[in-house]
Amino acid sequence: MTEHKHIYQAMFLLDNEEVRKGFNASRDWVKTTLEKYGIDVKVLRLWGERQLAYPIGGRKRATYLLGWLEASGDAVNEVKRELYLLGPVFRCLFLQEDSIPEEELATGIQEIADSEVIIPEEVEEVEEVEEPYEEPYEEPEEEQRATEEPAEGEKSEEGEKAEGDKPEEKSEKPVADAAGDNSEEVKKDGN
Amino acid sequence: MATKNSRTFDFKDIESLEVFMTSHGKIHPAKRTGLRAREQRRLKRAIKYARFLALIPFTS
Repeated sequence: MTEHKHIYQAMFLLDNEEVRKGFNASRDWVKTTLEKYGIDVKVLRLWGERQLAYPIGGRKRATYLLGWLEASGDAVNEVKRELYLLGPVFRCLFLQEDSIPEEELATGIQEIADSEVIIPEEVEEVEEVEEPYEEPYEEPEEEQRATEEPAEGEKSEEGEKAEGDKPEEKSEKPVADAAGDNSEEVKKDGN
Repeated sequence: MATKNSRTFDFKDIESLEVFMTSHGKIHPAKRTGLRAREQRRLKRAIKYARFLALIPFTS
């Protein structure tokens, strides 16, 4: 039974740690693995190196490899299994297409010098630990009052002291006498 | 097969896909995109492929 071959567009996500060792080595590993399963690799080129929209297995960046292949459905399923088990590929997608675009066919198996593939170092983001907000220390109102206004006992002592300082004449006069003096004056005014 | 007037979407063309998505990463309904049912299905598929390849987020 002859297996019918289809055209597939494939995208491979390569681990940057492996690509740093050599892009061509990673690309060749993908190519040989595909060919091992009878897949005809028409195009295999670097699509880009970019930040992932969400982390995959602790990786925040990845190198994307685009391929156009001619393969049978069974071969695609089998090669997927091996790609995920071994090598630099940690995610891949195969899509069946009608034909290979001419622009892509012109690229073929892209040869790039390893030095041209620049992969930035993944900088581990240091989480800034926010210091808990501490309100400035304010003395309680009662204590403030205590500092401003002395206690009743103290006040009385101070009052006594103040009274002691006052001239003796005023202190000797009783309150009632003073009132009486005033009443006499009123009477005098009335007369 | 795409007809003359029908629109196709490429999962690699992130900028054109993001036009049909909310800021949170959800796909706009056909009522809002104005696409035909077949085109809306193509858009949905392209966005889902792009999400799988971590080109666009599932949510944000």
